[in-house]
Amino acid sequence: MIKSENKKEEKNKIMIKFDSVSKTYKGDFMALEEINLNIREGEFISVVGQSGSGKSTLLRLIYAEEAATAGEVYFDGNPLSSISRRKLPFHRREIGTIFQDFKLLPKKTTYENIAYALEVSGAPDEEIAENVPQILDIVGLANKAKKYPYQLSGGEQQKVAIARALVHTPMVIVADEPTGNLDPIASLEIVKLLIRINELGTTVILASHDKDIVDKANKRVLVLERGKIIADYPKGKYKIS
Amino acid sequence: MFLMISRTFKESIASIIRNGWLSIATISILIMSLYIISIFFVSTSTANGILEEIKNKANISVYFKADVKEETILEAKGETEKMGEIKSVDYVSKDEALENFKKNNASEPIILESLKEIGENPLLASLVIKANSSTDYQKIAESIKTAEFSDDVSRVNYNKNRDLIDKLNSVIATIQRVGISLGFLFAAISLLITFNAIRITIYTHKQEIEIMRLVGASNMFIRLPFVFEGIIYGIAGSFVSMLLLFISLKFISPYITSAIPTGSLVGFYLGNFWMILLYQILLGSFFGVLGGLMAMRKYLKV
Repeated sequence: MIKSENKKEEKNKIMIKFDSVSKTYKGDFMALEEINLNIREGEFISVVGQSGSGKSTLLRLIYAEEAATAGEVYFDGNPLSSISRRKLPFHRREIGTIFQDFKLLPKKTTYENIAYALEVSGAPDEEIAENVPQILDIVGLANKAKKYPYQLSGGEQQKVAIARALVHTPMVIVADEPTGNLDPIASLEIVKLLIRINELGTTVILASHDKDIVDKANKRVLVLERGKIIADYPKGKYKIS
Repeated sequence: MFLMISRTFKESIASIIRNGWLSIATISILIMSLYIISIFFVSTSTANGILEEIKNKANISVYFKADVKEETILEAKGETEKMGEIKSVDYVSKDEALENFKKNNASEPIILESLKEIGENPLLASLVIKANSSTDYQKIAESIKTAEFSDDVSRVNYNKNRDLIDKLNSVIATIQRVGISLGFLFAAISLLITFNAIRITIYTHKQEIEIMRLVGASNMFIRLPFVFEGIIYGIAGSFVSMLLLFISLKFISPYITSAIPTGSLVGFYLGNFWMILLYQILLGSFFGVLGGLMAMRKYLKV
């Protein structure tokens, strides 16, 4: 494993740590094998690899949708295996998630989808009324606040999802194939948005097999193959042997 | 906490409105279940009421010979009252018997005419005995036969009612047996149907539940809207079912009343309106909430 040589990032604390993590699914399918990985605060890391290489599993372990079979995942210094079911929602509020299929609530408008993320955390109404328009402005969807997801284009829907992920001001953004359903232009916009979010200090973890967007990001690249890390470029391009 | 309740309540209202057709379908099924159960409940209650009334009318009349003095009869009355299983003993004097007879036959001038022909009162004084339970009449009749005053007795008309009482007892037993099993059957069927309807509703929310979890909603926050939805379904279903029940009882009632004059279904409905409504709301909400919670377990991973 090649360590990040970026001096500035070296100083930052470790946000996420994988300590010889393995994940086995039913039927002895080994999705991840002995993963050791440090992701520092403020880093932008692209996880690449073919389908089935374990990218999604890696991300799912971070937002605790799955539990590691062996080893331990640490988030901000805390082992995730120690989080009780009841505390899990609080962990998830520290992480913004973005998916290929957007995962917007279909019966809610743009505004309501974003507000919902704040409502569940018990934020006061005034705060919601203030934050949601702000965040809509950031992603450039202020004029689509009252539209339902089906009235939006794919790129717009993904921006709503990003806005929702950001509204908690999470420490980490996890994006699993966020451009998988989008055309190249929309993809580029999304990745630019993610870069901007990263520049504002949020750690971004991007899983993708889209060469163009990984190259565009031009940040640390982690290459997975059959559940193992086979390369970790500090600053680089999408390369799969 | 208050914020959570008010938010999840609003959430449930929005969900009901935005899932319009599905909500209507779920409520309709709930209405049918509640309606069937209520119809059943009302008819068994009415049947029981009618039986109770018939039972109350059952009695043993002990007629005394014409020459027996009133004091002797009253003595016999006191003696009868001391027997077990007696609810009441009423003395009907000759004159009262005549009055009753005239009243009952007021529309039959020929009978009244012939009564006048006779000149004197041909009717006998009697004791009307009511038992606590309709099964006790046989025993009471036996006791009277062996009582001290048995020599003064002209006749005991228990036998006339005997068939009716026996039949009544077997009818009551059957109704209770069949009623209980049918009641359970209907309740079980309704529960299953409602349950499934709500499971389907929840299934359509499957992805939503997943998303809610991802944005960090606690299980309680995800569950409460469905709980409220269940309660609202229950209340809405109850009101409609009450209306349907009223309409159908209004329709059926005249037929029942013509067959058995004492049973008024509408009267029963109005008399027990609040109780029936309360039961329906409780039952409906119970179905709604339980169905929802059971169906959600799967998606909440609890």
